[in-house]
Amino acid sequence: MDVAQALQELTELSAQVERAVVLDAGGSLLGSTHVGEGAAERLADAARELTDAAAELHASEGVIRVEVELADGALFVLREGGLTIAAVTGPSPTAGLVAYDLRTCLHAIDEKPKRSRRRPSSKPKEEASE
Amino acid sequence: MRRLLRLAVLVALTVWAWRYFVARRETHERAGVSYADGSSLVFEPGSPAFERLAGIARTALRP
Repeated sequence: MDVAQALQELTELSAQVERAVVLDAGGSLLGSTHVGEGAAERLADAARELTDAAAELHASEGVIRVEVELADGALFVLREGGLTIAAVTGPSPTAGLVAYDLRTCLHAIDEKPKRSRRRPSSKPKEEASE
Repeated sequence: MRRLLRLAVLVALTVWAWRYFVARRETHERAGVSYADGSSLVFEPGSPAFERLAGIARTALRP
């Protein structure tokens, strides 16, 4: 399932998720729910900033989940398998359920960024210094 | 017995009214972070970390 399909399924299944974006390992926007480009970029920026800020709060570098619940709504960021998903919900969400839905969405995405494979070169490396 | 019943009903109504009109309006704001090593942190309003994370989140919550 590609990113767009996974996000569509997420919005169909979860009544709490209002909008969501998926980022790759480098932080680039892979896809978003049906929101304006500005809103998607703003959500992606917030996800990147949140994970960076959360990493600075603790000696452990691997941030896997950030959730901020405010009076106006909540923002969830989940990282798994090289992908990041960020979602906005309304006020007082069921945090565990939202996190489960977001994780399910990430698992449904099978088009993860391909890792660069090093092919063994047939030719021996030439020495730079002559 | 009737007095006891009235008292129970009165207490139940008071609890319901307090929860409906007062407790429901209280906003429960918090921020939580989980790390790969299994540790997690929770920040409450008033802490610098919460204000920082909330400030970032507010930019995304704008419609």
